[in-house]
Amino acid sequence: MNGLRLAFNYLRIGIMNEFQYRANLYIQILQTFIALGTGLIGLNLVFSQTSELGGWNRTELLAVMGVFIMMGGIIRAAIQPNMERLMEEIRQGLLDFALTKPADAQLLISIREFRLWQLVDVITGLVVLGVALSQMNWLIGVWSVLAFFSALVMGAVMIYCFWLIVTSTAFWFVRVHEIANLFEGLYAAGRWPVGIYPTWLRMALTFIIPVAFAVTVPAEALTGRLSLQTWLGALALTITLFIASRALLKFGLKSYSGASA
Amino acid sequence: MPSVISISKLAKHYQVPEREAGLKAAAMGLIKRRYKNVKAVDEISFDIQPGEVVGFLGPNGAGKTTTLKMLSGLLHPTSGSTSVLGYEPAKRSHDFLRQITLVMGNRNQLSWDLPALDSFDLQRAIYSIPRDDFKRTRDEFIELLEVGDLVQKPVRNLSLGERMKMEIIGALLHKPKILFLDEPTLGLDVTMQKRIRTFVAEYNKRYGATVLLTSHYMADVEALCKRVVVIHHGKLLFDGDLSKLVEKFSAFKTVGFTANGSSADWSQYGDVVSVEGGRVTLRVPKEKTSAVTSRLLNELAVDDLTVETAPIEDVIESVFSVGKDIVE
Repeated sequence: MNGLRLAFNYLRIGIMNEFQYRANLYIQILQTFIALGTGLIGLNLVFSQTSELGGWNRTELLAVMGVFIMMGGIIRAAIQPNMERLMEEIRQGLLDFALTKPADAQLLISIREFRLWQLVDVITGLVVLGVALSQMNWLIGVWSVLAFFSALVMGAVMIYCFWLIVTSTAFWFVRVHEIANLFEGLYAAGRWPVGIYPTWLRMALTFIIPVAFAVTVPAEALTGRLSLQTWLGALALTITLFIASRALLKFGLKSYSGASA
Repeated sequence: MPSVISISKLAKHYQVPEREAGLKAAAMGLIKRRYKNVKAVDEISFDIQPGEVVGFLGPNGAGKTTTLKMLSGLLHPTSGSTSVLGYEPAKRSHDFLRQITLVMGNRNQLSWDLPALDSFDLQRAIYSIPRDDFKRTRDEFIELLEVGDLVQKPVRNLSLGERMKMEIIGALLHKPKILFLDEPTLGLDVTMQKRIRTFVAEYNKRYGATVLLTSHYMADVEALCKRVVVIHHGKLLFDGDLSKLVEKFSAFKTVGFTANGSSADWSQYGDVVSVEGGRVTLRVPKEKTSAVTSRLLNELAVDDLTVETAPIEDVIESVFSVGKDIVE
């Protein structure tokens, strides 16, 4: 309960902060539309040559794109900014204030930042998804919707854990910013269902950077492709990653030495 | 009374990578790194009683901040024991953290773009302060520091001193019992320093809080702390009354007089600091002061004879320069 209240308070501060920078909203809208435009052009180019890609038809791939845009927005609104701040604070030894607060350290470092305007992507993703679903002849049942949302939450948690693990290595390696760029590059691969990639890349996108679980699996849920095994696998991986990332952070905090004043 | 802070043989060692300057050495560092063990804090012990305001002194790199960080639970000690309010700080128990605060003069925790009031609200949530308590404390502090017209301005538009006042309010809203203040007046002008000082003294008086303060401004220490703990190179040099420190370490006194036209080889009386106009200033070893003054008065017709203890800054400087050899 306390954690939720704290998260809400930080969210409030984050939103107030974002209201100070109105220009960012317009820039974000512009960026989103450019990304959406190039995405749609790419999709059209592919389907001008073929009617199917790795078992997915055009509308289904539009749904994948919707999930991709939406998840990207979630990551950039709530996950990435917190992790980048943490990286910076570890590097400069500025974690002191967060660690002297009577709150769970992991909770605190995970809720301090929020980029409201990234929600433009979330909304756009939802619209794209809606359009795709309306074009499908497939009736979506309650279970599919539940499976979709649970897969989405698990995907977001896995991406969060991935970021937290990478960020925690900053306690020892100090400069890990390049990894943020690497993530963005690999996340872009999630634009297409991971099934179309060669095995090695598919494995990497599933188990090393869980893009598959963040985008493809929720989209599978909506298009009636998700099997119970995959769902259970996702659940197991989410729990494992969460425990591992939490342990690593705790271990890292022990070796945190801060910067001298 | 049982002490609220108790540390015994506390030590913190760092492994610091070390190499020669230059590209070749930097490249070699990729393969094999050489580490040096630095004893930032080297087995220091002291106790602090409830309500005490203790000055924690030492030159840069003496280990003050490291000690404060161990006491506030940020750093795990290499060895030795710490107890603050009966808790082991490194465990970072929430009950412990709720009762302490750490203020660092060179860091800020308030949201840069928002008015301080919004950041204060966040503190309320973090420390789960009941709303009424929170409002009362907040308004009390705002009044004490006279910042009523500033709390609604974005923090980025405040001056350094104004910002520090806000930082201090934010750090004390939960009414901590223990204050770790690391250079709270760093970079502030004299008036602002005084303001912060008065506020700390007032807080200590009203709430009986214990304060451990580091500062490079001796005025802060003189105004607030009866007792000082001095460390140097991680070792404890002195722990006791500030007046005792001055007595112990000020080996010299300054003797000034107007020569009244008489001239002599002043250096036979002591080290000549300056001769300006008719005014002569000498530095005389403490134990010879009375002998020198009576000689001056007897042998020469000097006027306006003054004897002054060295300013506290100089005393501290001499403590640091002599280092640990003089620790008994």
